[in-house]
Amino acid sequence: MRILKNLGQALRGLQLNKANTFLMTLGIMIGIASLTVIVAIGEGTKSKVLNRIANMGFGPESFSVYSGAGRLFFGRNRNTTSMTLQDVDDIRAMPGVAIVVPRQRKRMRIINKKEFTTTRVYGVSPEWQPARQWEVVDGEFFNDTDMDRKRKVIVLGNTPAHKIFGEMDPLGKKIRVGQVFFEVIGLLETKGLTESGYDPDDRALIPLTTSMSRLFRQTHLHSIKVVSTNSEAVGQTMEGVTQVLRRNHGLSPLADDDFRFVTPEGIMQWVTESEQALNRMLLLISTVSLLVGGVVIMNILLVSIRERIREIGVRRCFGARRGDITQQFLFESVLVSLLGGAMGSSLGWVLSSSLNHFDLLPAKITWDPFVLAFGFSMIVGLIFGIHPARKAARLSPDETIR
Amino acid sequence: MKISKVIEIDSIIKTYKNEGFETNVLKGISISIGEGDYVSVIGPSGSGKSTLMTILGCLSQATSGTYLLDGEEVGKLRDSELSRIRNEKIGFVFQAFHLLPGVSAFDNVMMPLIYCNKTPADAKERVKQVLIRVGLEHRMAHTPGQLSGGEQQRVTIARSLINNPKIILADEPTGNLDSKNGAEIMSAFDHLNAEGRTIIIITHNPIVSEHARRILTLRDGQIVSDEINENFKESRAGIARAAVK
Ligand SMILES: Nc1ncnc2c1ncn2[C@@H]1O[C@H](COP(=O)(O)OP(=O)(O)OP(=O)(O)O)[C@@H](O)[C@H]1O
Ligand SMILES: [Mg+2]
Repeated sequence: MRILKNLGQALRGLQLNKANTFLMTLGIMIGIASLTVIVAIGEGTKSKVLNRIANMGFGPESFSVYSGAGRLFFGRNRNTTSMTLQDVDDIRAMPGVAIVVPRQRKRMRIINKKEFTTTRVYGVSPEWQPARQWEVVDGEFFNDTDMDRKRKVIVLGNTPAHKIFGEMDPLGKKIRVGQVFFEVIGLLETKGLTESGYDPDDRALIPLTTSMSRLFRQTHLHSIKVVSTNSEAVGQTMEGVTQVLRRNHGLSPLADDDFRFVTPEGIMQWVTESEQALNRMLLLISTVSLLVGGVVIMNILLVSIRERIREIGVRRCFGARRGDITQQFLFESVLVSLLGGAMGSSLGWVLSSSLNHFDLLPAKITWDPFVLAFGFSMIVGLIFGIHPARKAARLSPDETIR
Repeated sequence: MKISKVIEIDSIIKTYKNEGFETNVLKGISISIGEGDYVSVIGPSGSGKSTLMTILGCLSQATSGTYLLDGEEVGKLRDSELSRIRNEKIGFVFQAFHLLPGVSAFDNVMMPLIYCNKTPADAKERVKQVLIRVGLEHRMAHTPGQLSGGEQQRVTIARSLINNPKIILADEPTGNLDSKNGAEIMSAFDHLNAEGRTIIIITHNPIVSEHARRILTLRDGQIVSDEINENFKESRAGIARAAVK
């Protein structure tokens, strides 16, 4: 087959002009590598967020309202102190509301003798457990009496428990949180790391009253979790909550909310939006870099053709048709582009894996970028190869051998 | 004795047009060359010898005039058909060799076979045979850079022979060689002619043109003389012929 023979000549041409071949692959390689990394980061972030949702204990009938303006987990003002127990009481009084859990939260160091670790410490009401539906495997959760008496009791997640107690049984032991001593009264069931590395077990829970008066020494809340009586009522309940909070916080009709809702739908929507934004950026970056790569190939190929004008002339003298020359150079550009694509994919794969491995960014490797890389390199090779290839083929044989 | 004609050109004119002005290079050339003839074309520099060769070699089309090559009218052919004719009927030898750099002698000789419609099954054997004929069986894997000038020109002769063409067209084949290597190359042409191949050699060098049976002189785009070479060494051709048999 003539076309295969031209392919063979193209391969040899690339072999003989190694420096040019290498230069031609560079642009495509960088383009494809960045494409691979961006896709991997996108996928990684998405799966991290999805895992996060799955581990938030959200049912369709529940939502949270966080203190501070902003969106989802991204609060704009961390110093908002407007959310209080008054809000909780008013929400609890609303129709269609089943459970309301007020929460305070802080990252703190917890210490058992010489062992210590840092974990997320939550001050919550005892309803946290039925709302979250998280089992206590050892000991028990704190109750209303613990709340009323502001007892210094703590329930540990598996991660901090394991870190400071090792194989020992923590139940009944005293640990220090900041400057305050707490008795461990319960251990939470282990959920295990999510795929993306988020650790839901990295937490400790104390009665809200204790956290308010003895540990965090603040009365404002971090967030409130609300469970509706049924999932259809959620929308209405959220509207009610908005009214209650705006009124309680004394917001004028023109002022923005100083709180924000976190709902499964909200998160999903955010994921979709950010995915779309990411995809647009991806499209832009990869288009630009592949265009640059393509232009590099085209220019080097044009130079290469000028250098190899004798070769072209001699081939034509001995029977190469215009089509043969076109094919040979088009094959060169497609092959070089595919080679760049393969190198870029490998580089991207290595980069993504190391991002993940060194915990810099979540990255998830999927097949998509490799398939894309193959398709894109092929197309770039064809588009940017056709001009030089046809130019080579149009050279008249008598002038090329002079 | 009726000799069939492989090349018949009639009133060939070649004009180059560049940015508005025209250069008349060939001004009405008519020649006919019989099969197995041995022709040399001489003439001063710029007289149009190489231009004539590109037309005879189907590398460019005449501006006007007719060209019958082996009975086919070349002027009417499309580029792909011209390519086929070059591939099947003509073998080129150039002053500057024009071998593919970095490619072994073997693969250089193989190159024209790539462009055959059907690569012969015994391609490799054929390449080996022609390389043996030019005495380079021990240099098959060498690239042009690893070969002497004389050896390189022998590779190009092997390459011109690989498709067993009727006509060999050589433009100053000894121009880049010393006299000893030049003589060797010319003796190779003598042998090729002795086995019946039509040979056309363009040259400045009287020693080279003396090898031909017929000498055409070109001046200013016209043929000014067309003579049978009185010194044509029948004896040498005879020796060559004997050697072939
Ligand atoms: N593409 C072209 N455009 C314009 N003029 C050309 C072109 N090619 C050749 N010529 C002119 O045609 C004339 C004949 O050129 P050609 O190469 O055939 O000469 P030549 O007889 O082979 O000379 P030499 O012995 O030096 O090789 C020259 O004057 C040259 O300048
Ligand atoms: Mg010349």
